[in-house]
Amino acid sequence: MDSRAEVGAIDARALLTQAEKGASLWSDAGRRLAKNRLAVAGVVVLACVFVFAAIGPFASPYSYDGQDRENRFAPPSGAHWFGTDNLGRDLLVRTMVGGRVSLMVGLAATAVSLVIGVLYGATAGFVGGRLDQAMMRVVDVLYTLPFTIFAIILVTYSGQSIVLVFVAIGAVEWLTMARIVRGQIMSLREKEFVDAAVVMGLSRRRILLRHLIPNALGPIIVFVTLTVPRVMLLEAFLSYLGLGVQAPMSSWGSLIREGTLAMEEYPWLLIFPSLALSLTLFSLNFLGDGLRDALDPRSSKD
Amino acid sequence: MMTRIHAERIALVLCAVAAAAIGGGCGGDDAAFETGNMLRFGNGAEPQDLDPHVVTGVTEHRVLSALFEGLAGADPATLEPTPGVAESWDVSEDGLEYTFHLREDAKWSNGDPVLAQDFLYAWERILTPEMASEYAYMLFCMAGARAFYEGEITDFADVGAAAPDDRTVVVRLEHPTPYFLQMQVHQSWFPVHKATIEKFGGRTERGTRWTRAGNLVGNGLFMLERWEPNKRIVAVRNPHYWDREAVHLDGVIFYPYDESQTEERLFRVGELHVTSTVTPNKFDVYQRENPEILQNADYLGTYYYRLNTTRPPFDDVRVRKAFALALDRDDLVRNVVRMGRKPASHFTPPDTAGYTCQHTVGYDVAEARRLLAEAGYPDGQGFPEVTLLYNTSESHKEIAETAQAMWSQALGVDVRLRNQEWKVYLESMTQLDYDIVRSAWVGDFVDPITFLECFTTDNGNNRTGWSSAAYDALIAEAVRTADRDARFAALQEAEAILLDELPIIPVYFYTNAWLQAPEVEGLDHNLLGYISFKRIRLAHAAEG
Amino acid sequence: MHMTRYVVRQLASFIPVLFVIITLTFFLVRLAPGGPFSSEKALSAEALAQINAHYNLDAPLWRQYVDYLAGLARGDLGPSMKQPSRSVSEWIAYKFPASLELGLYGLLFALCVGLPAGILAAWRPNTWTDQLPMALAMAGICIPNFVLGPLLVYVFSLRLQWLPVAQWDGFAHKILPAVTLGAVYAAYIARLSRAALLDVLSQDFIRTARAKGLSEPRVVLRHALRGGLQPVVSFLGPAAAGIITGSFVVENIFRVPGLGTEFVKAAMNRDYTMILGTVLFFAVLIMLFNLAVDVVQAWLDPRLRHG
Repeated sequence: MDSRAEVGAIDARALLTQAEKGASLWSDAGRRLAKNRLAVAGVVVLACVFVFAAIGPFASPYSYDGQDRENRFAPPSGAHWFGTDNLGRDLLVRTMVGGRVSLMVGLAATAVSLVIGVLYGATAGFVGGRLDQAMMRVVDVLYTLPFTIFAIILVTYSGQSIVLVFVAIGAVEWLTMARIVRGQIMSLREKEFVDAAVVMGLSRRRILLRHLIPNALGPIIVFVTLTVPRVMLLEAFLSYLGLGVQAPMSSWGSLIREGTLAMEEYPWLLIFPSLALSLTLFSLNFLGDGLRDALDPRSSKD
Repeated sequence: MMTRIHAERIALVLCAVAAAAIGGGCGGDDAAFETGNMLRFGNGAEPQDLDPHVVTGVTEHRVLSALFEGLAGADPATLEPTPGVAESWDVSEDGLEYTFHLREDAKWSNGDPVLAQDFLYAWERILTPEMASEYAYMLFCMAGARAFYEGEITDFADVGAAAPDDRTVVVRLEHPTPYFLQMQVHQSWFPVHKATIEKFGGRTERGTRWTRAGNLVGNGLFMLERWEPNKRIVAVRNPHYWDREAVHLDGVIFYPYDESQTEERLFRVGELHVTSTVTPNKFDVYQRENPEILQNADYLGTYYYRLNTTRPPFDDVRVRKAFALALDRDDLVRNVVRMGRKPASHFTPPDTAGYTCQHTVGYDVAEARRLLAEAGYPDGQGFPEVTLLYNTSESHKEIAETAQAMWSQALGVDVRLRNQEWKVYLESMTQLDYDIVRSAWVGDFVDPITFLECFTTDNGNNRTGWSSAAYDALIAEAVRTADRDARFAALQEAEAILLDELPIIPVYFYTNAWLQAPEVEGLDHNLLGYISFKRIRLAHAAEG
Repeated sequence: MHMTRYVVRQLASFIPVLFVIITLTFFLVRLAPGGPFSSEKALSAEALAQINAHYNLDAPLWRQYVDYLAGLARGDLGPSMKQPSRSVSEWIAYKFPASLELGLYGLLFALCVGLPAGILAAWRPNTWTDQLPMALAMAGICIPNFVLGPLLVYVFSLRLQWLPVAQWDGFAHKILPAVTLGAVYAAYIARLSRAALLDVLSQDFIRTARAKGLSEPRVVLRHALRGGLQPVVSFLGPAAAGIITGSFVVENIFRVPGLGTEFVKAAMNRDYTMILGTVLFFAVLIMLFNLAVDVVQAWLDPRLRHG
């Protein structure tokens, strides 16, 4: 082996070790996450919200669709902590049940858009050239198609199960994700450690999955925490189009939308579902920030 | 060094955005017209157009009734015919021929006289097939009108409308039509100004510029001053209107707010005199706190559920009856529908032109359970899963949720709910792809026939698959009959059949509720929601 | 020049993309149940046939498609089927300026609030100057615009009576809608710029700059902003296109005569020509914006120019 190449390879290896940390740090990430108080608080609150939604309804004497029409619009009280709604239903238990839908949609649909968006965007950004152009044109096309019509067609020709909500939301949300990831990957691609990895003879697939994506995780995680609320609210719009859960079942998005209509007369109908949603999003956000810091390959040096 | 350049570039980009934003802001125009004695009128949605032969909605009708006038008007409280462009009319013995005598001083807003030929021109226009008017059927009571519309006769002279001279219109009817005069307040009978229409396009062309402000020539109490879509329509006094002395307002500004929340807020800060509607929650509040502001009038409409009689389980009349009897309409209306609406135990609203259905369907859980058991589903056992379909809306949803709970409690049956977006819902209903579907019918004119003819076998509005030869025969008989009592007797018998077989479950009768500032006077209520701007005055303006 | 050639090539590549969009949309809208003239009061078969004939809806689908394309080639987007008083092009020309104006104000608000907040937060991470703006940003994200709008109206119009409730006339009418529209974007920009800045700030050249003893604001503003803005810019492209093409919710609450409402209503009404026209218009806008973003990105980061 030529000595110059030898030196190059050693340099490359050093650079690579640094970069590889990004990928191999998963084991340390948990430890570092545990040290981040806000992130831990986020995890705890999220866990509580999950328990609230999953188990809460069983602990309530009311059912989410049990009507007490003579007692409608009752303000919060000892009997109904969150008050009652337009049909005299207990808002607490409706918020819990609505949480099931929103959490499920929020997580599953975001996951769908995350996986598609990251893989797609990373591939386009990494490969570049004509393929990138073509892939981005596809994104442009999908971005422009009228979503309302798409959702209407979806519900008409394939029923109305909750899975379709994931499909519908995933189908739009991954587009922005893909754009962001592509931008990140394109700028990372120019960095030294990638050249190093190429010199090392690593496969493109390995470079992409082990080096580039982990290094782009920061913005990706932030964007995920931004996507979850969008998705939860999009669910309410889809339910307007007849896609997703049906009355008397509800979701946070729908509860909030209905609460807005009674904002001045019966404010609790808006306040409690909004609080539930905000609490969840705040915790998720703290967790996201914590994760981002914990996964940051450079953070260990600070 | 490089970084400095980049910072500058970033600043440049930001400045460009800022400049664009501020530059864009310079185009704002202010409402620079006098609003002193103008009625600021919340009109719901934006009109599709202002061509009387194109539009279909209530929204458009309100604007058009300010801009045009038909042969006869209607008293805004009783809907009794009043003189319009015609100062008088004669009716033949058999009720089949109307002769209208047009007033000499009826003028278009450009000063041209309104002549008999203008009406004939308008009627020919709306009935011409190429015009593709959705409301042409309103004229089908005129002899030969339907045949002309369907292309069976091509010469309009063969249709039952004639103008023996400039000031006389003679209409021959196909069958006795007690509501014929009242229909003259509907836009489909309004005259249009030939020269204006043909100046901006073909006779039967849709969407030409003739309806724009500045172009439109009408014959109503007001004329079109401004039309800024989704902002406002301004109508001001028509100096050529024959009865201009009787008009109090200087004009009307129609505001198109389809968001009733927004409309209510604008009303609260005093920007609107009248709203188009009010939400149930606000209704409760105003009723409690400012009842004098809240207006509520009976409206010629029925909210009901259609049942799909072409497939199980609702092909069995006992099941249909069980569902109808198990619905506690009083509870539903009092607690959920609210808005002062009335539980419906029959289909045609009470006192429609003096007709009130004698046959009723009530609330009787025991009987409902007996019928369901007889149909093979004791206590709801073995009852198939059925779905109640409604178009997405908060109020349809809460009514459906309540009905679901009532049926479940009374009958032990499981009804699923399903909402669909408007057009999908219409398609499902038309294709009979439903079990139970939320429906409504609002009469075009005050006569029971507009309700009852919906459920004849071939009627496009039937949409239940239900068919009864006896019912069809009775409706046909009522259409042929001129004598009021005999006619109503046939209709009573028909509605009794409808309520025995129950392809539909009546739920409630509509009312029109709106907010109205105290200074608005002379805005009368009627069953059609028809508004006559002639009598309206603003109290403070009159004083000042 | 390299950049000019890139722009020209991109512009040329729009044409096939637009063609695909038009084709897909044309057939998609006709797949959706119900047509422009289905209504609660059923039209008679004859009336429906007449009106379909009037709008060429009775022709075979391929024929309608060819006719539509032929119209497009002449620059004719056709009449609006549900709002026949104006043609589709006239509607777009009438409604777009309001959306554009509202969007620019919203965007301006988003940038003026979001960017400083993000920079401030990244300056001293995990202190109160970080946590406060970020908490506010989260609030901006958590509160959907259909809640924020009525809330702002309640406080500023109904209670304080400082600003108008709705309508679209003077500058005062534009403040609340712009804030409602821009709030969530401000929050996004704050979050994205903070994250990206933090990324950059931990990199070697910043360490060098700090080691050289440059003041902290200087480091952040001069050196870090360049790399830090990259994700913001790639977010802003589509976001700006989205913000400028109008928001159904905001336009509806404040009764802005904008294109966002028009687009959703056209879809709901199955106003085929209107849907196609607005989609086409949006497509052109979005592609132009994305191109602008690419150019700006290349400008901010010279290494990308070779990409």
